[in-house]
Amino acid sequence: MEKILLRNIDAPDSQTLEGYRACGGYRALEKVLREMTPEKLIDEVKASGLRGRGGAGFPTGMKWSFVPKDNPKPKYVVCNADESEPGTFKDRLLIEKDPHAIVEGTIIAAYAIRSHTSFIYIRGEMFYGAQVLQRALDEAAGAGYLGKNVLGSGYDIDLILHRGAGAYICGEETGLLSSLEGGKGWPKIKPPFPATHGLFGCPTVVNNVETLAALPWIITEGAARYAAIGTEKSKGTKLFCVSGHVKKPGVYEVDMGYPFKKFLEEDCGGMANGRKLKGVIPGGASMPVLRADELDGITMDYESFQAAGTLLGSGGVIVMDESTCMVRAAWNLSRFFAHESCGQCSPCREGCHWIEKILNRVEHGAGKPGDLEKILSVSGNIGGNTICPFGDAASWPPAAFIKKYRGEFDEHIAAGKCTIH
Amino acid sequence: MDPVKITIDGREIVTEKGKTVIQAAEDAGIDIPHYCYHPKLTIAGNCRMCLVEIEKMPKLQIACNTLATEGMAVKTQSPKVLEARRAVMEFLLINHPVDCPICDQAGECWLQDYYMEHDLAASRFEERKEHERKREIFGPYVVFDGERCIKCTRCVRFLQEVTRTDELTVVNRSDHATIALFPEKTLDNPLSVNVVDICPVGALTDRDFRFKVRVWYLKKTPSICPGCSTGCNISVETYQNRIARFKPRVNEAVNSHWLCDEGRYSFHGLTEGERLTSPMIRQEGGLVAVDWDTALRAVATGLAANAPAAAILSGRNTNEEAFLYSRLMKQFVSDGGLEVFYRERELTEVEKILKSPDRSPNFRGARHMGVGSEAGVEPLLKNIIDGKFRSAYVVGEDLASLSDLGDRLKSALGKLSFLVVQDTRMTPTAALAHVVLPSTNFAEKEGTYTNRRGRVQKLNPALVAPAGALQDWEIFARLLGESYDRPADIFAVLSRQLPAYAGLDYEKIGALGADLEAQHQ
Repeated sequence: MEKILLRNIDAPDSQTLEGYRACGGYRALEKVLREMTPEKLIDEVKASGLRGRGGAGFPTGMKWSFVPKDNPKPKYVVCNADESEPGTFKDRLLIEKDPHAIVEGTIIAAYAIRSHTSFIYIRGEMFYGAQVLQRALDEAAGAGYLGKNVLGSGYDIDLILHRGAGAYICGEETGLLSSLEGGKGWPKIKPPFPATHGLFGCPTVVNNVETLAALPWIITEGAARYAAIGTEKSKGTKLFCVSGHVKKPGVYEVDMGYPFKKFLEEDCGGMANGRKLKGVIPGGASMPVLRADELDGITMDYESFQAAGTLLGSGGVIVMDESTCMVRAAWNLSRFFAHESCGQCSPCREGCHWIEKILNRVEHGAGKPGDLEKILSVSGNIGGNTICPFGDAASWPPAAFIKKYRGEFDEHIAAGKCTIH
Repeated sequence: MDPVKITIDGREIVTEKGKTVIQAAEDAGIDIPHYCYHPKLTIAGNCRMCLVEIEKMPKLQIACNTLATEGMAVKTQSPKVLEARRAVMEFLLINHPVDCPICDQAGECWLQDYYMEHDLAASRFEERKEHERKREIFGPYVVFDGERCIKCTRCVRFLQEVTRTDELTVVNRSDHATIALFPEKTLDNPLSVNVVDICPVGALTDRDFRFKVRVWYLKKTPSICPGCSTGCNISVETYQNRIARFKPRVNEAVNSHWLCDEGRYSFHGLTEGERLTSPMIRQEGGLVAVDWDTALRAVATGLAANAPAAAILSGRNTNEEAFLYSRLMKQFVSDGGLEVFYRERELTEVEKILKSPDRSPNFRGARHMGVGSEAGVEPLLKNIIDGKFRSAYVVGEDLASLSDLGDRLKSALGKLSFLVVQDTRMTPTAALAHVVLPSTNFAEKEGTYTNRRGRVQKLNPALVAPAGALQDWEIFARLLGESYDRPADIFAVLSRQLPAYAGLDYEKIGALGADLEAQHQ
């Protein structure tokens, strides 16, 4: 498998301009500015089949093409570096090890929609990452990749790094925009959509770090080469962040369509401590869990995960062995979402804590008959009825855990205590 | 207007392009339950109560943020919608204290109403409720209960978008999200109490009204605010013949949904305190009670014997009263001697959203009736001070208590040969009078006001006047030797005589008023 996103990770000084250039850095930007119109660039990215790597998997080129050309307002690209999904740590690796790829990718995206000021919104906790990125931005500006008349092309672009203040919801694109505008990080109701009414009411594209970091390779190597990798609807490579009970946790770059079981058993070295696999959350904490027996035949791409009743999401693979209490795991996740609900709309604000409180009781021996049905009902009343996808993200995991490990939940309630620990 | 055809629950509705589903439904008389949506505020979409099913859309959509488009089929009563609505009710109530027995909002609470309509189930919530701040004073008139709040943000949006004073915001996340004052701020702008009106629940309550009376005991009388000449439409809400509160009535031609704080509480000063219940005449040793015939005879002879007279009518008197007063006093005054009380003051930017720079709700109408001129009352007050009159007939204004001219007017009025004061209470001005005539306040009157912009609007009696007092129009009619059954009869006469009012029919003015024709405004 060819490394695209992690191609520079092991190169010496990959985070510096010199190191990045030594790996062929900024050649894509030069090519774009010298040879491509924004329209041609968008067509090229469309042809690559690249889909958004933040979780939703929306085709990147199409997202760009929604930005109206005739709108006289400023246009913005915002690089979403607010990576905070539990179990997800792929963007952090890119930020810390290959920041110039993100800067170059963001400039290319900005050129595609004719933006002259764009932003990188980085999670507040990633203090080191912010320092690395700022240094990369300063270096890029010094080398003429940012600012006025980039590489003599006549194109002007400023790129501003903004640090968040520590809220998961600011990773949701409209919550991020509210925060970037200086407001409370509350998602905005749609319509209107960011493509026409985004940052400060102007046309805006929000792209994930991994999405943008893939662009330089796609430009230099060609969309066709990228599209040749992967499956029919999932092109290219994807980063997976593996955590939990495997021998070799870490960030892996995998061709889309790679067999999931093989990935866990061979690439990740199989289960740690010789215990048996109990379940996997394949796409970050907000995606439905899969039982060990559901993994057969699943390949690592958008379609296959969806067919299995879960989603590729951010690629955060959380592996749990037989020693894991699934009630405790569900409670742990629900506690995270209850804490991070922004509090704007009724179902999520009130419902997330309700679920958390019931799961807390069940795990700690005070569960009652009917509790599980209540959680499923409350979860169903949140999902799909909220302003932003957080409601789905918060309500899917507990429902999936209960449906897939029902026996274990029932045992907790019947025994009046945790039956695993 | 671009017509758009949609169906709601199978019913075909023609609305116009740009309208949302909730607006189209409202126009057609179909109620889609909602909390955060308010027609005068931006769309927040946070309460999720207005979720409806729309054909070809997989998820339920909020009616407040969905534009009606040609051919759209909306369902507001499908099982999916009803369940979502019930769920929202359940969510809003799980951390709510359900303290209706001690909550002022009870009886006009949207949580109560919608619970009865859309939930009506016992709570499934068995966990510990989250607690929030209680009884937090937000400003001079507004108090906050964080546990009753449903975070609809109507108050926050009102203060951002209407007054632009930005006192409130939402702080914290998750079920700890709550409304709070910005540091160093107080909710004391001149329109502050509107947040109480638009709060759909008991989170923001009116400190003046709090704990006075349960709302279901209130008698509600549509009327006009007596605070200034904007003429905001109000509901005068009374209990046991006392005003408990004013609430704004929606009238897009005048005040939209709003009412200013000064107007809202103006009834305290105008209706409270000990009332005059008998006419009085000055005799040796002071004012003594007499019957009406004696008092009115004394007025007629006193005015006739002491020309020239100064005549000042209150800006709170109705058109019908002004019409009779004008005809009565023209017998006794010379030029510039007859004026309606009207004085201007400076307004702040926020006050200008609603207020007029006066405290004379019907000065415009009184002038139409012939009481006074564009020169205004100032020259007349000066002439009184300068001793240019021998007598005066002052209606409903306590001239001796004016902050600037009061002392000099008191001295001048005290020197007159003959002073008639017609008022509801024994004011310092009335105490100087030779004849005191007990009359009625704005809340006891029927009649019309013409506001600053020339809109004729109706006052309705919300209170019963005390025995012994007469309506101002009755007093003037008796002094004129005329007889009317009710103000409508006077209006019929004045509308025949005054071209500006010619097109108006008292019965047809209605609850929202009627504009004078443009050339007369």
